[in-house]
Amino acid sequence: MRILSALLIIMLAACSSKQDKVVVIKPVCDLAYSPYQATVTGYCQEVAAELPKSLDIINKSITIKPLDEISEVFWFNKKMKYSLIKQEASAPLIFIIAGTGASYDSVKMLSLQKSFFQQGYHVISLSSPTFANFIVNSPNTQYMPGDLAHDAEYLYQVMNLVWAQVQAQDEVEASSFALTGYSLGGAHSAFIALLDEEKQAFNFEKVLLINPPVSLYNSVSILDKYFDLRDNRQAAVAMFDDIFSRFSTVYSAQRSSKFDQGSIFSLFKNVALTEAELKLLIGASFRISSSDMIFAIDVSFNTGAITYKNHTIGKLESLTHSLQRASNITFGDYFDRAMLPRAQREDANTTKADLIERYSLHAIEDYLIASDKIYLVTNQDDIILQAGEVEYLQAIFTDRAKIFPRGGHCGNLDRLSFVEHLQTIFQGGLN
Amino acid sequence: MPMLVNKSPKLFAIALCFLLSACSSQPSLESTAVTPIIAVPDNPQDLGVLSAYSDPWEGFNRRMYYFNAKADEYVLLPIVTGYKQITPDVVETGLSNFFNNLAEISTFINSLLQFKLSVAGETLGRFAVNTTLGLAGLIDVATPIGLAAQDEDFGQTLGFWGVKAGPYLVLPLLGPSSLRDASGLVFDSLADQQVMDELGMKSEEELYLSLLNSIDVRARLPFRYYGSGSAFEYDYLKLLYKKYREIQVAR
Repeated sequence: MRILSALLIIMLAACSSKQDKVVVIKPVCDLAYSPYQATVTGYCQEVAAELPKSLDIINKSITIKPLDEISEVFWFNKKMKYSLIKQEASAPLIFIIAGTGASYDSVKMLSLQKSFFQQGYHVISLSSPTFANFIVNSPNTQYMPGDLAHDAEYLYQVMNLVWAQVQAQDEVEASSFALTGYSLGGAHSAFIALLDEEKQAFNFEKVLLINPPVSLYNSVSILDKYFDLRDNRQAAVAMFDDIFSRFSTVYSAQRSSKFDQGSIFSLFKNVALTEAELKLLIGASFRISSSDMIFAIDVSFNTGAITYKNHTIGKLESLTHSLQRASNITFGDYFDRAMLPRAQREDANTTKADLIERYSLHAIEDYLIASDKIYLVTNQDDIILQAGEVEYLQAIFTDRAKIFPRGGHCGNLDRLSFVEHLQTIFQGGLN
Repeated sequence: MPMLVNKSPKLFAIALCFLLSACSSQPSLESTAVTPIIAVPDNPQDLGVLSAYSDPWEGFNRRMYYFNAKADEYVLLPIVTGYKQITPDVVETGLSNFFNNLAEISTFINSLLQFKLSVAGETLGRFAVNTTLGLAGLIDVATPIGLAAQDEDFGQTLGFWGVKAGPYLVLPLLGPSSLRDASGLVFDSLADQQVMDELGMKSEEELYLSLLNSIDVRARLPFRYYGSGSAFEYDYLKLLYKKYREIQVAR
């Protein structure tokens, strides 16, 4: 929920608040539960896990692509950014890969970093290959992000480079390696694990997929519908305005102008968003991520979808027209008009169905069934899964699968039962 | 002479307009450039919030946004980091509280100007308690006893009285604002100035104090330019700022 967190930052900032240092996490909220609510505000009905209050995060960057090949409009994105959290002594090391459009330092990443650091791991966090900073720094100019097997190759390259860098610069000593990722990063982890069987640079001891999509296409089709700008634009726009004005009314009635975790929950409670409205917020957040992604792809690949093809964008140039154009395409369009033609250029016989299959866990099903080191954790009501997909995951991973009854999509990463489950899976790695 | 005085704000305004519109942000296209595949929606209303706020000074604003991002990285943040390193946390909090307490005066004035008597009363209570029991504002004793901090500035007062926000304006170093809010800022800082004069400070001391205040404000802001990693950050921030101020004014 990047737009929400951005909004919060502005509010915190503008209120000259003192709370940014002491964020009091209210363990239990009294919001009415739904998988959509859990996806937006977190599964706050369950008690939060005891996690470290803060971490010594070393923010790092690495040159992967020659800097002069990166467009000026991304002047702030030269070098790939990632982070390292280091244990004092030699310890196992885990790589975490962020979800669709998310960076190495997203809120969900922070929860996972805390969990794994607490369990004694060195933690290296990487942005998703769908995040602008990754796209513009990736040496890849051929395959569209979202192409899981190829994404995995570039991620693997980056992991090798980053691992060499932290050994040289931060004297990290790893006793073994593990890998995890949430959402799309979960699907990436599965494909990287397979690649590592062949390349053997890390020989991952354990790999955990957290709330992964089974099929990228199915999941993005669900999210596209939540904020339907093509077929239902006016209604969607009107609903969005209505949500804003209700938040503003409730905020006006609030006694203090300050914000903290508790007042955010009470704000959401009083605004009482309907299911359709929660879906709209999720869809809007997804649209923001995909607009950013499509813009970065346009700039890196010169595809000309929302920018002028063959035009070098200056760093002070207006991008508003591109943002407005981006609101006119769905992820489905991106799939049909960018990913499919690219794949067909390589092999003219590729059909849409082939591609849908290729960008799903089905493509590496045999490996996932056979490999003991791969674990899965998801929720029965994860909103990005179509009917039958939870059962599919259960059937593939059998006793290596943990399916929580509630939590929506990644709503419970910092909750007690989830963190305890991580400990159960990973404590073996620490012996 | 009076003629000149009357005219000079106008001249100033004309100069400002010229400055603001001088730098264009529109792309200068190469001859080989191809129009994007995806069109801009025909009806601007269909864009909802994405087109709700025009940005006539965009060229100037984007330039200033870029300047601010660089100034933040190379000047402000290093100072803030240094300040945090040499100042014990207790002192930092104390100074923050002190400046917040001084700011209560302008909140008080502005809530009176908007007839928000309960807000004014609460703010006055906070100021009284914190200035006395809180040792000249160094300790915030008012919040724990249930006197909530309020936030009113002259931009909001103008908004309350029906003054439109006017064009979006990115101020040097200070960031997102609007024509109205920037004018409000001038008024509020004059009020702050008055307070410092009342305290009998020398102009040198006032300068140090306002410098310290600026560092403190920046230190408390969790915002980092391009922390979102998005190329559209300028647009998103504009939208959020405009919306947020609307909400504050409606409050």
